Amino acid sequence: MKELNDNQIGAVKDLIFRMADDELILGHRNSEWTALGPILEEDIAFSSMAQDKLGQAHAMYQILHKLGEADPDTIAFTRDEKDFKCCHLVEFPIGEYDFSLMRHFLFDSAEALRFEMLMGSSYDDLANVAKKFKGEIKYHIMHADTWLVQLGNANEISKARMQSSLNECFPLALGIFEPSDFEETLIKDNIFPGEKRLQEEWLKFISPVITSAGLILPDINNCEPAFGGRKGYHTEYLKPLLDEMTEVYDIDPGAEW
Amino acid sequence: MSIKSLDPRVTRENLPEQPNTESIKDLHQWQTYEVFHQVKKGDHHIHVGPVHAPNPDMALILAKEQYARRYKCVNLWVVKTADIKKTDYEDEDIFETNQEKMYREAGGYKVMERINKFKAEHKNK
Amino acid sequence: MYGGGYIFEETKNGHSEKDDEKKLEQFEAKIAAGEKIEPSEWMPAEYRKQLIRMIEQHAHSEIIGALPEGTWITRAPGFRRKLALMAKVQDEVGHAQLLYSAAETLGKPREEMINDLITGKSKYSNVFNYPAKTWADTAVIAWLIDAGAIINQVANSKGSYGPYCRALERICLEESFHLKYGHDNVVFLATGTPKQREMVQEALIRWWPPIMHFFGPSDKISVHTETLMRWKVKMASNDDMRQKFLDMYVPKIWDLGLTIPDPKLKKNEETGKWDYTEPDWDEFKRVINGDGPCNKERLAVRRRAEEKGEWVRNALQRPTEKYTIPLA
Repeated sequence: MKELNDNQIGAVKDLIFRMADDELILGHRNSEWTALGPILEEDIAFSSMAQDKLGQAHAMYQILHKLGEADPDTIAFTRDEKDFKCCHLVEFPIGEYDFSLMRHFLFDSAEALRFEMLMGSSYDDLANVAKKFKGEIKYHIMHADTWLVQLGNANEISKARMQSSLNECFPLALGIFEPSDFEETLIKDNIFPGEKRLQEEWLKFISPVITSAGLILPDINNCEPAFGGRKGYHTEYLKPLLDEMTEVYDIDPGAEW
Repeated sequence: MSIKSLDPRVTRENLPEQPNTESIKDLHQWQTYEVFHQVKKGDHHIHVGPVHAPNPDMALILAKEQYARRYKCVNLWVVKTADIKKTDYEDEDIFETNQEKMYREAGGYKVMERINKFKAEHKNK
Repeated sequence: MYGGGYIFEETKNGHSEKDDEKKLEQFEAKIAAGEKIEPSEWMPAEYRKQLIRMIEQHAHSEIIGALPEGTWITRAPGFRRKLALMAKVQDEVGHAQLLYSAAETLGKPREEMINDLITGKSKYSNVFNYPAKTWADTAVIAWLIDAGAIINQVANSKGSYGPYCRALERICLEESFHLKYGHDNVVFLATGTPKQREMVQEALIRWWPPIMHFFGPSDKISVHTETLMRWKVKMASNDDMRQKFLDMYVPKIWDLGLTIPDPKLKKNEETGKWDYTEPDWDEFKRVINGDGPCNKERLAVRRRAEEKGEWVRNALQRPTEKYTIPLA
């Protein structure tokens, strides 16, 4: 499908804003570790993955640009906080390395599955982007799984840290799957199988890894998913992040950097 | 008081202003693995350098970004440095006469001259 | 980035008395013939010591050098700059890893080197004790400090120690991206709005003295390094490298209509060399000995990074697994 009708355009744009804003904000967050990582080799690996996230965000904003939105820099660097559609999980400060690793594991697992689903999307541009990033996301999953299983099984301290970060991140991660107003169109027109389906797949995907890591998944029935981000309601962390990110960009509006 | 830096990331760390010159314990950097990459299928794997890692699984994950983020490659190997056995440079002389052992080389077998001589000798008979 | 202005110790008669005369002769003959020295080969104790010192300083300069530019990593304007700056700072960390590995092959474990860095025992390039006040400072650093580093590293990559040469060859390839990125960044600022131009001019004024310091003290006042030159540890004199840098980059800076804050700076037609105001070597010494604007912060940040990673490294450390120095 190359041409979209108005209803489909609304649905696709909403989906892409959610994905791209998540990638931009998480990539930005994870870049804060660059030169401060726990060991040189991991510093390098984590930085690469942060770059990948920003690259994905850029590719997504390019699709939006084709659909009539502003150029990627303008979208990323000039919108107000309330216009962002990222989930709360990506907004939190980097915390200690266990938090950043757990967030990386939970988010990228969902993203890997989302991209896999999108490879079969009826909307060609989305399918193409999903195919393009297949390899790099696969590495992210290898990286996340290896770290999770190793730290979960290492010593008491690392196990406790990983479990506590899992407890903290899990309700936030459920916010990834906050349903949109366009679920029906997305599903019916084979653009994307929907957030509910994705969450089910995600739970099936992460559970065995969490078990191999010797950790316990919090009971989903006792968790309040952190919704709101997709509708423009954000945590206290997003505004300062955006102010910081756009500080230089805002010095001289209209300048080319 | 903590350090107020030009770098907001650093300011957020609340670093003490008083310099600390004590050694850090537990600075250990794991052990080392040697990394080999293969540029394309059909090529030999070539040594590209070491990574510090606690075990082979982690060594592979970490080697991927340090040694393959810029350079094309289709395959990586890691092997614990301690497991590599090597010759000593002091024994470099064990390789010295290799080039002289012509009986092992194709170039050591040049018979055309002999054939031509034979042909010339028998031509007129 | 960033091999430059190493602080050498005076060599002790070229070699220690214990070193076997015959071996030393063979060693020097190999180097004179352009052969490389590999880790497990015999080498004079003094050669080993000076190399560790130099490569370690170089590695520290990379890991600390990631911090001034890292200052702006969360604020880079636009996708293109944001991605490039992340990749550049990442490369500096990668270079540190390669260089620590090269130094390790000489027998000093990485943890000892990092410990010597954060306890203030080892030095690193002086320039990184200066702050990157604005975004434009990162542009000037990426262009001109990296340019200086390339001049130094290209020279050193023809040195005698195999692992260091191999690391430098790879590093130089990546530096060419840094240099282009830095130049592109400076050009955009210098040809941009009045505000942008002002930013980059001010950054150049701030960074010029550290840049002149970068190659180390003038040959007139630095320790004698004849032995190190003969051993191909030190490959070019500080003043020669400084001249080469000025030759290559002053015209490019002037091309952009920027002012270099040194009224004496000009090419002397008679000598073919650049005349310049002698850099303040007292300040250089003061800063390298700990009293620069950012020394404390740089070391505190590095210390914090190591402290934050401690539980991660501890968790995966197995007492049965012993550290081995890397192979090559």
